[in-house]
Amino acid sequence: MYVILVYDVNVNRVNKVLKTARRYLTWVQNSVLEGELTEATYRALKNDLTRIIDPEEDSVLFYILGNTKYTKRELLGIKKGGEEWIY
Amino acid sequence: MQKTLYLFANGRLYRKDNTICVEGEKERKYFPVESIRDIYVFGEVDLNKKFIEFAEDKEIILHFFGYYGNYVGTFYPREHYNSGYIILRQAEHYLDSTKRLDLAKRFVQGAVANIVQVLKYYQNRGKDLESYLYAISLLEESVSSVSSVEELMALEGNIRRYYYESFNTILDDTPFILKNRSKRPPTDPLNALISFGNSLVYTKILTEIYKTHLDPRIGYFHTTNFRRFTLNLDVAEIFKPIYADRVLFTLLNKNVIKEDDFENQGGVFLLKERGRRLYVQEFEDKLRTTFYHRRLKRNVSYQTLIRLELYKIEKHLIGEELYEPFVSRW
Amino acid sequence: MDLLSTLFSLEEELSKVIGSYVQAFFICPRQVWLMSRQVCPDEDNIFLQIGRLIQKQAYSRERKEVHIEHLALDMIKRGEKTLVIAEVKKTSKAIEAARMQLAFYLYELKNMGIEAEGELLFPEERKKEILILTPEWEGKVEKVKQEILELINQPLPPSPHRGRYCSKCAYAEFCWA
Repeated sequence: MYVILVYDVNVNRVNKVLKTARRYLTWVQNSVLEGELTEATYRALKNDLTRIIDPEEDSVLFYILGNTKYTKRELLGIKKGGEEWIY
Repeated sequence: MQKTLYLFANGRLYRKDNTICVEGEKERKYFPVESIRDIYVFGEVDLNKKFIEFAEDKEIILHFFGYYGNYVGTFYPREHYNSGYIILRQAEHYLDSTKRLDLAKRFVQGAVANIVQVLKYYQNRGKDLESYLYAISLLEESVSSVSSVEELMALEGNIRRYYYESFNTILDDTPFILKNRSKRPPTDPLNALISFGNSLVYTKILTEIYKTHLDPRIGYFHTTNFRRFTLNLDVAEIFKPIYADRVLFTLLNKNVIKEDDFENQGGVFLLKERGRRLYVQEFEDKLRTTFYHRRLKRNVSYQTLIRLELYKIEKHLIGEELYEPFVSRW
Repeated sequence: MDLLSTLFSLEEELSKVIGSYVQAFFICPRQVWLMSRQVCPDEDNIFLQIGRLIQKQAYSRERKEVHIEHLALDMIKRGEKTLVIAEVKKTSKAIEAARMQLAFYLYELKNMGIEAEGELLFPEERKKEILILTPEWEGKVEKVKQEILELINQPLPPSPHRGRYCSKCAYAEFCWA
């Protein structure tokens, strides 16, 4: 599954969320990461983030694409990050 | 599905915030450690023991390549699968010369079958390969009657000679010519490209062996000396024609890799970085291609196919099912 | 490890029944044979990973994974009268197999002189079941242990049979390669 993660959390926890998410996904731009996960790594990521965020104040969104075949992505402006497996 | 990271960048490769980080002159780039299976290190990177320990903990395999694109070695983490039973069976099949020769023949038969498939593919696309197919089919018949691994080696060498000669017909629309196969060092661009592709196949298979119970040091066709990985060389015999050579033909016939992608260093040829990147891209695309597996009843990728082949070898060693190598149908 | 010591440890393995064999026995005897040779499943298998994760996540406050001789118990708690041992499972689909595994633990503990009650836990389904070792259960456990020993001492594994568990089984790639 392809996952896009978007977060909006208290500034005190921004770094923690970013660091954790980066172990599973690739940073795309501010507060956005994405990448291919398995059912299990997705669960592990959610589990790790649950321990960090404050559910009263923070928000983390996952967009889950079963298959990237039928999706399209366009970019305006500069490319900041993203998946690169040949680097 | 975990992925392969091909690292051409120069700089520092290290553990940062519990994930993998590459720091070059311009930027710092993070890679998701939980999604990485192996890293191919082509660039000039500095790394420390802490990083090696991290790789060991995350069961990530590191393959290192030298300046010429030559394979240098692998960091094969402490094995996480260990079956004394399978290792004993593996050794038993090595020590028993009949069993060893039988397995070695199966690898060669699989290799030849896939070589023939590749030749037929290009024959169907208008290349006149009839004489090679005929010569190889004659030699193929004698595989079953050889009585030693050394004899088998010689026979396989003859088959390969015809096969490599046929490259000149398959590539007759390109400026590339193969006079003869020269490995160390490659004395022309085509040899450099063949060697590069083969080393990718060897290392890919090594990565997959890590995910099984097999010991990569015990091979059957290639001589074991307990210092070097050999089982991956055996298994590679089957996959080289379909994974490496097909990729090579595609890249050259489509003019993706060109003459100026090679550098001549006093008679020794090497594939420059642009060419290596293009090769690796095509190779990965190939490995990610999926097809329907009839016994497994689902789609599998060419990457997974390597693992399935290793399981078939395990079943042969257990004594459950004789090993029948994968033969491409395309 | 040198080959001789490998061989010895192998012989020891084949004379001992462990809890995971009991559970697997009811699902797929072939799996038990492979497990007895440490031919363990492909850890990339997502269902296997999820199972492990659930075990790790659930009940993280209580004590987990206790090893007593050859028994690997998911959890041990102090009950009202006796010790309570718990086995955590992802789903209750193979509940019969899970019950037998738990009964096996209770039986083995009793032979060591430890009295305990059992609990089956399905955190994802918020379900719990109590199991007490009755003479009837003891008889069943003895029979199963005998059958498993016979199975793992066979020179070859039972051939694969396609069943409802195959599609999610971590051994599927091995069996159908």
